[in-house]
Amino acid sequence: MTEPDVHTLTGPYVLDALPEDERALFEAHLAECAFCTTEVAELREAAIKLATQVSTPPPPALKTNVLAAIDHVRQVPPLVPGQSDVPARRKFSRRSVLALAAAALAVASAGGIAIDQYRDRNAAIEANRQVAAVLSQPDARAVRGPVSGGGQATVVMSPSADAAVVVLRDLPALPADRTWQLWMIDPSKTAHSVGLAAGDETQVLNGSVTGMIAFGLTIEPTGGSAKPTEPAAATIPMT
Amino acid sequence: MTDPTSLPWPAGPHLRPGEVSDGDLLARTAGGDTAAFSALYDRVTPWVFGLVRRILRNPAQSEEVTQEVMIDIWRTATRYDPDRGSPHSWILTIAHRRAVDRVRSEQSSADRTELIGARSAEVDFDQVADTVSTRLEGEQVRRCLDTLTDLQRESITLAYYNGYTYPEVAQRLDAKLPTIKARMRDGLIRLRDCLGTTGGRTS
Repeated sequence: MTEPDVHTLTGPYVLDALPEDERALFEAHLAECAFCTTEVAELREAAIKLATQVSTPPPPALKTNVLAAIDHVRQVPPLVPGQSDVPARRKFSRRSVLALAAAALAVASAGGIAIDQYRDRNAAIEANRQVAAVLSQPDARAVRGPVSGGGQATVVMSPSADAAVVVLRDLPALPADRTWQLWMIDPSKTAHSVGLAAGDETQVLNGSVTGMIAFGLTIEPTGGSAKPTEPAAATIPMT
Repeated sequence: MTDPTSLPWPAGPHLRPGEVSDGDLLARTAGGDTAAFSALYDRVTPWVFGLVRRILRNPAQSEEVTQEVMIDIWRTATRYDPDRGSPHSWILTIAHRRAVDRVRSEQSSADRTELIGARSAEVDFDQVADTVSTRLEGEQVRRCLDTLTDLQRESITLAYYNGYTYPEVAQRLDAKLPTIKARMRDGLIRLRDCLGTTGGRTS
């Protein structure tokens, strides 16, 4: 990778100081960035030394509880070397970005080490290039909001680069003749279509970001609409 | 990668002949050996509990999260990969993230701000260190922290000990976002180099 700025995220990442959405996106980047992976491992060894400062023996009863509990906890199977968590030969799609981010999140929340063995190289490289390009902007920031009916939309944007990454997660299923449509709202409250989505997806937007005041999401007939025909499922202010 | 024997951590793993390393205990835990897990528990739980309590402060929540973490160690020991870091790095990474996720979901930023004032620079040194090597390492870490700039040190400790995100840290320190991201990284690099040099580590 050649984006020097995205590498500075190793610091906040090791300290668990990235907001959740940026963490997921950085982990997608990490999966293919050998430099970052090495640095994360090294900086972690340094960061955990801070824990030496605060060591405290736990109450003895805790051990009894833990040992009793593990009797009922099955260990996860080991990963086979070379095993891929994503199907091989799958061509890059924007959905792959989400697969990486979601897999990273799943591993993280399962308590495993944050990065794991996914190796869909083409998808990851392209995904990382696009995500990194946005994340590496000094003015990159994230906004998010709930989607009515369930799920969440996150927009990581860089006004200076006029680019954004939109992450749609846990959206409800739509009827076959409907699609999600993504909008950018300008200061005159006019909605500009920036793409369609079938469901949970990550989309990179190049252009139509700078100067916009909000991101919007609506449900539209398949193929999309020229302007929103239904009330917004999500409206997220960007200013 | 890191040579684990060059990192005196914790309580001096200068292994005597016949002594079992934490990596060995973790490997045996991965094989379902509950006795090995019990021994590993005794070695690492003070670090896990101390860290979790430092972040959460609420004793009941800290015990709960520590228990979850240790059960997770048992459950996922099969996924530990020595190439990606030491056993302590793996275990404390899991513990730190759990504690941070919990504090963010349960305590508002304002709550944490108030508590910080009350706590300020109070570090639980007294409760540390019942062994000489632990004390020495504590001193080494403090000495290395002192080599950081104020902004580096504050950025790192606010995030690590209090669970703040970098935007929250930036707000508290009245600094720009890119500045805080960079200080977290270059501060950790300096800490790594300071700690690594005396450990004779090459990487």
